[in-house]
Amino acid sequence: MLSRIALKPVRSAIQPIRMTQTSATSNAASAATTESPERDLVNFPRPVRQEYPGKVRMGFIPDEWFQFFYSKTGVTGPYTFGLGLATYLCSKEIYIMEHEFYTGLSIAIMGIYAVKKLGPATAKFLDAEVAKSDAEMNAGRDMAIAEAKARIAAEKIEQDRALGMKMLFDAKRENVALQLEAAYREQLVKVFSETKKRLDYQVEVQNVQRNLEQRHVVDWVLRSVRAAVTPEQEKATLSQCIANIKSLAQQNTVRI
Amino acid sequence: MAWGEYPASYNPNVHGPYDPARFYGKADTALAKVKLGELTSWLARRDLSLGGISGGISRGFWRWQHKYMQPKKVGIAPYVQITVGAMIFFYTLNYGKMKHHRNVKHHW
Repeated sequence: MLSRIALKPVRSAIQPIRMTQTSATSNAASAATTESPERDLVNFPRPVRQEYPGKVRMGFIPDEWFQFFYSKTGVTGPYTFGLGLATYLCSKEIYIMEHEFYTGLSIAIMGIYAVKKLGPATAKFLDAEVAKSDAEMNAGRDMAIAEAKARIAAEKIEQDRALGMKMLFDAKRENVALQLEAAYREQLVKVFSETKKRLDYQVEVQNVQRNLEQRHVVDWVLRSVRAAVTPEQEKATLSQCIANIKSLAQQNTVRI
Repeated sequence: MAWGEYPASYNPNVHGPYDPARFYGKADTALAKVKLGELTSWLARRDLSLGGISGGISRGFWRWQHKYMQPKKVGIAPYVQITVGAMIFFYTLNYGKMKHHRNVKHHW
């Protein structure tokens, strides 16, 4: 029963890791697993936001237009074309230089100066702001990834712990077996000592009985012997004893 | 293709997420690669219906957006482009009035 309880937290910890794994793959492989089999990722890759904008010349003219000229006219071609077109437009007064043209020209000069002067600092500031806002937007996702990673690490630790629990249970089982063995031996000793106690008791009982019998017999013999002895016999014995003592004394004095 | 729907040639199973800057039909030669002699046949192959023209303008707008406006480290270029475009647009609008400011006297 204990082992079942021990396995419980492990089993519940396995499920969240499965969840994090699927979400991690969908983040990393850009949901390639959920795409349909006929998806053409070579010709139609997922659109990605570019880091840098397209290259431009003179502030706004796309570089591709210049490239378009290069193969046909060489490096100076686009400039020649542009200058020629401008000359044509001005010369034929298709582009008319009325008073607003000079306003525009002065505004353009001021604008170019401002861009050259303030541009780099503004770009630096705005890039920092963009990076900040990007970090803010990614914070949730990054946090989720970090959390998933932490959860995976924790799960690994938990798995190691579960293996450790196995060892622990083996040790506990061994311990219980030892205790059982000890209890068994203790009981064996108890049985032995109890049996011995009973046998000793029997021996003691027999000893006591024999002693009693012996004493009784001795007493009985003595009592019957005393009863058999008469006063004459006593006197005769006494006199015989005195005679013996006397003869002994005589012998001893001779020797001295 | 009704109003507000994806182009008929767009198949999400094959093309994935919809990119408004992309033409999902069969690709023709790019205008820059067309030879002068083939220009008329190339123009004849254009879809000049209302939906085709508006779709082309929309794709162009989004291509410009993705290329110049949406990148992370964008410069001042798209704003200058808007300004120059607006200048040309309003110049053509006002061209009828501008004509009176011509300095030309003797040649046409």
